[in-house]
Amino acid sequence: MYMLLMGLCISFFCLAVTVAAFAAATRPESPAPTAQPELPAVKAAPARFFSDRATPHIPVQPQVPIEVLLLQIENHVRLEQAAAESFVAFPTQALLHGKTTSPFVN
Amino acid sequence: MAHELLNGLSSAEAGQILALGTRMTVPSGGSLFRLGDAADRLFLIERGRIRLTFPMLVRGREEEVLMEEKLPGETVGWSALVPPYRFTLSATAPLETEVIALPREKLCAYCESSPAVGFRIGMNLAILVGQRLQLVQAMWMREIERTVELKSAAVGEAR
Repeated sequence: MYMLLMGLCISFFCLAVTVAAFAAATRPESPAPTAQPELPAVKAAPARFFSDRATPHIPVQPQVPIEVLLLQIENHVRLEQAAAESFVAFPTQALLHGKTTSPFVN
Repeated sequence: MAHELLNGLSSAEAGQILALGTRMTVPSGGSLFRLGDAADRLFLIERGRIRLTFPMLVRGREEEVLMEEKLPGETVGWSALVPPYRFTLSATAPLETEVIALPREKLCAYCESSPAVGFRIGMNLAILVGQRLQLVQAMWMREIERTVELKSAAVGEAR
């Protein structure tokens, strides 16, 4: 009788250990959802490729007299025209994209 | 003086066309026509130089900026043959310049009476207009490309 009760107790204990082990093994890794502190809402970044805020980076130059600036513009137009004429005379992509020595493009 | 507008004409035909016009001298710094003016004559440059300019806002001031420079043998003012017959650029002479002014009405009347000459002049005009178009198209594409490059660089720096 004692042997039978002891066997039952040991079986019950083993069953309890097995159930506990099984429960531990099948528990989800992530903790149960709990109340989390509210994160500040992240605003979607606005498309800025053509946005007005994205100003082109033009090297800051000291303010030159307007006559000098006009001469620079004229020089730029002449160089660009010469580049465009080269392209028109012999159209290739390289000639279309070629850079001049104009300070406005360098 | 060989004029691009008269290419392919015999010297007699070219002489007859030139006889339709009036020889004019523009003093150094003088204006030949201004943007928006009625265009009823086109001009063949005999001597000197003509600057074609476009008004551009520079530091809040309107300034005439060079678009093209024309030399002897070249033609300016072909707006006189293209509706709505208004000049779309201004023309000035940086030095004393001589031109032959051809009135549209006389030129068109002559071309109607002599279709072969009219055809040749029409083809020469098409070449002038086509060359200007191709040139401006290439310049415009280069400017767009540069603008996009600058914008892309600015966006890259902002990130």
